[in-house]
Amino acid sequence: MKQSRFNKIRMRETVVSYAFLAPALFFFCVFVLVPMIMGVVTSLFRYNMKGMTFIGLNNYVNMFKDEVWRKSLVNTVILVLGSVPITVLFALFVAALTYEKNPFTRSFFRCVFFLPVVTGTVAVTVVWKWIYDPLNGILNWLLKSMHIIEKNIMWTGDKKFALWAILIILITTSVGQPIILYIASLGNVPKDYVEAAAVDGANDLQIFWKIKWPSLLPTTLYIVVITTINSFQCFSLIQLLTSGGPNYRTTTIMYYLYENAFKRFEYGYANAMGVVLALMIGLISFIQFKALGSDVEY
Amino acid sequence: MRKVLSLGLAAALLTTTLAGCGGGGGTSETKQADAGTTAAATQAPAAGGETTAAAAAGGETVEITWWAFPTFAQDSTDTPAGTYEAEIVAAFEAKNPDVKVKLETIDFTSGPEKITAAIEAGTVCDVLFDAPGRIISYAQNGKLVKLDDMFTDEYVKDVGNEALLNSCKSDDGSYYMYPISTTAFCMAVSKPALMDAGAMGCINLEGDRTWTTAQFEDMLERLNAAGYNGATVYCSGQGGDQGIRAFVTNIYDSQVTNDEVTEYALNDEGGIKAMTKIKEWVDLGYMLNGSAYNGGEDVDQFVAGNTAFTTLWSPGLASQRADTLVENDIEAIALPFPSEDGVPELEYLVNGFCVFDNGDAARAEASKRFIDFICNDEEWGPKNVVRTSVFPVRQSMGDLYPGDEEMQFYASLTKYYSPYYNTIKGFAEMRTYWFPMLQAVLNGDSTPEDAVNDFVAKANQSIVNAQ
Amino acid sequence: MKKKVNILDGISMAFLLILSFIFIFPFYWILTGAFKSQKVTVKLPPEWFPMNPTLENFRKLMQNPALQWLWNSIFICAVTMLIVCVVSSMAGYVLAKKRFYGQATLFSIFVFAMALPKQVILVPLMKLVSFMGIHDTSWAIILPLCGWPFGVFLMKQFSENIPTELLEAAKIDGSGELLTFSNIVMPIVKPGFGALAIFTFINTWNDYFMQLVMLNSRSKLTISLGVATLQQEFSTNYGVIMAGAAMAAVPIVAVFLMFQNYFTQGITMGAVKG
Repeated sequence: MKQSRFNKIRMRETVVSYAFLAPALFFFCVFVLVPMIMGVVTSLFRYNMKGMTFIGLNNYVNMFKDEVWRKSLVNTVILVLGSVPITVLFALFVAALTYEKNPFTRSFFRCVFFLPVVTGTVAVTVVWKWIYDPLNGILNWLLKSMHIIEKNIMWTGDKKFALWAILIILITTSVGQPIILYIASLGNVPKDYVEAAAVDGANDLQIFWKIKWPSLLPTTLYIVVITTINSFQCFSLIQLLTSGGPNYRTTTIMYYLYENAFKRFEYGYANAMGVVLALMIGLISFIQFKALGSDVEY
Repeated sequence: MRKVLSLGLAAALLTTTLAGCGGGGGTSETKQADAGTTAAATQAPAAGGETTAAAAAGGETVEITWWAFPTFAQDSTDTPAGTYEAEIVAAFEAKNPDVKVKLETIDFTSGPEKITAAIEAGTVCDVLFDAPGRIISYAQNGKLVKLDDMFTDEYVKDVGNEALLNSCKSDDGSYYMYPISTTAFCMAVSKPALMDAGAMGCINLEGDRTWTTAQFEDMLERLNAAGYNGATVYCSGQGGDQGIRAFVTNIYDSQVTNDEVTEYALNDEGGIKAMTKIKEWVDLGYMLNGSAYNGGEDVDQFVAGNTAFTTLWSPGLASQRADTLVENDIEAIALPFPSEDGVPELEYLVNGFCVFDNGDAARAEASKRFIDFICNDEEWGPKNVVRTSVFPVRQSMGDLYPGDEEMQFYASLTKYYSPYYNTIKGFAEMRTYWFPMLQAVLNGDSTPEDAVNDFVAKANQSIVNAQ
Repeated sequence: MKKKVNILDGISMAFLLILSFIFIFPFYWILTGAFKSQKVTVKLPPEWFPMNPTLENFRKLMQNPALQWLWNSIFICAVTMLIVCVVSSMAGYVLAKKRFYGQATLFSIFVFAMALPKQVILVPLMKLVSFMGIHDTSWAIILPLCGWPFGVFLMKQFSENIPTELLEAAKIDGSGELLTFSNIVMPIVKPGFGALAIFTFINTWNDYFMQLVMLNSRSKLTISLGVATLQQEFSTNYGVIMAGAAMAAVPIVAVFLMFQNYFTQGITMGAVKG
């Protein structure tokens, strides 16, 4: 009796929910889901300009045998492991430090750290390319005039530096959004909770961990997942700065995917890489949801 | 209340959007139907190959799309892309009122990707102005219309260069690219730098300016002693790869492919020796490790005076960079690549047009007429060749640069054309292995011998892959 | 005790200020580079401020339909932003606060879709768009971007903070679903809404790849795409490139500064009683 009443409520909720979801689902199904399914299906084909031949899982098998793909997997993982923790911690640090400051300071830092995002990756990369230029770049010039180095360093062409040079730009172009989100959601932490805790004699650190952190969890989860996705999909930086060189030292999975699709016209193989990339990200996101999600009960 | 209103607004917006889509879909269908009838109406005459035939189709206009890379020079460097192209279109439309040409400009960085995506999605243009490397790969994949009917006996005789004509053919023996102009790729040195370093004696300014690798090495030593940077051995990105490839093959008389252009042959004695030597020069500081530079950036360094020579040069580049050279007081001297025996084998550029098969005979026919106009119109043909800054493929056009000594030199290089391998199967895939090979050598990841052998193995595999 | 915190605070702020230089520099360099002549832009040691400012670069740029491009960008971004914000906040709210059949599956599909690189769906998407007859129009950019589920995910996370008691109280008061959404949900998720609006606007503005493959006609280009093609044409002229980048970036920075207030409002009134 009770069970069926519950189902009735849930049915009603379902109807209401789908009504709210309808517009989003419409756009999603037509413009993402359908192309996505086509993309996944074509990953089972030898699909190039000539046409399509069904080859089952061969693309996937070849991928794991592909030396360059394995190199690019390693590079991608390094970028993700480097950028995600730094981005999240730094964003949290900036937000926590500035959200209670006067509106001017808050706006100032929010703006500053968001500038690279607003300026656009393409434009920012043009400047960075000049900063890193071995012959007349400003970085070598600065280091030389401070007598830190004697010979020009080829930042984006040297196997010791290239990936790190990319990582720095990746971080500067990805912390802006998390900072804004953290400032916004820190503002949503109920003030009377914080005050009550302060009256009870809790110190700042305790207040942060016990009161603020729990309500930041949904935002943190979003930031972690999105930063992971973006780092995994790091592409335009590579294309504009190093084209994957030197000798595949900065080739990421996304760049390799792009090279296969647009330079070798192997769409099927490229799509298979996309699917594997998505599965990896999906798996990692799932773990992140388990670890950080406050509401994974459904 | 306000919020409810805004929701309503959004809903209204959504509905209009959807209606918009539906409407759009409808028009596209009718358009297709239209195109179908046009095609049917003109099919018969078009098959006859008569260029005036479409006019008989009852005054219906055919619309074709032209995608143009910035190959034609504009009036000045400030003039927006497509300005000159628009003049050509206007002149053509005046003479051919039944054809409308839609001009769209693309660039070399993102253009190739755009074409690739458009081919797959079926939104590609009708006429493309490009070079054989890409065009023949589209042809090999069955995306182009055959242009055999444009290669009349008279035309073939007029061109009279078998290597060049072969570069316009796919492996089925049919022509897919209609060439307009050609030139050899070469290198350039900075006169002031060489004078200052006392290296002018190393180069040859007589005749075809050919020189030997020994002379070249002498020049490197002198430049280095005088504190000048040599060229970068650029190997980032992908553009300009033919320049450095020609440099590598020439210095010890190797070649990229065998004479029959059936397999790669760079791993011969000369090729390995060349890579070993280049690595040595980079280690000595005679040339710069170019892992961070692409071809265009190497030229930038040269015209800015940061490097004393470049291995990527052509009459087109010379005219594009003329202003910067003047600004920096640099006189660039074009030279063929040095070689051990003093007889270079040069790679060359062919500019030409292709027609994409969009399943519409009328559009294909109109496209051919348009190409014919661009290349062969009495007034516009020669003018267009000059705008590509290089030499006509039709000998009957004669000397279009009378009295220009520099152009006389470039023209003289034609006799050093090497077998054209850009039409080899899997060419696009091979290009993706070339720069990583150089990077591996320059950064000491592998020995020159291993790297070259590995490259040849992968490149040969790419021929198999493309079968 | 208090003093120690202040010292720490001071050090942190100093650290942030130093870092700020790295973040500001590219934008500053673009802005000033736009007013430098070709020769000055590549000079070493660099000229930190344009000593002989010139408008030459902008003159060259303005020979192109730059204003038309600007308008195209604004139109595309504004419409996308509007649709995404409305659609996502509705979807995000129910995903966070309702319990319904298919919820978990649906949300997983959304996340998986985000994880899938756009390049994989590009060709099918282009086929779809040309089938609909909207290829080479603004809608070819707008509609696909409205399907991208980032917004839904973001709004779901923001909606998690809505106190369930409030929603239940509203229900007991007999408030209808739409009314609850507009009167209770919207005010609470307002900061997120503002953030989403800005992100959508900016991402759309800078989403160069999508624009590249979808738009062909010179008059239909967006400012970022137009400027990118100009960078090609003037590849040797650093000054013009900077001017172009500035022209693409300044409007968007302005939009950002304008929207800032919207957040701040949201934040000050965000103290929701639980």
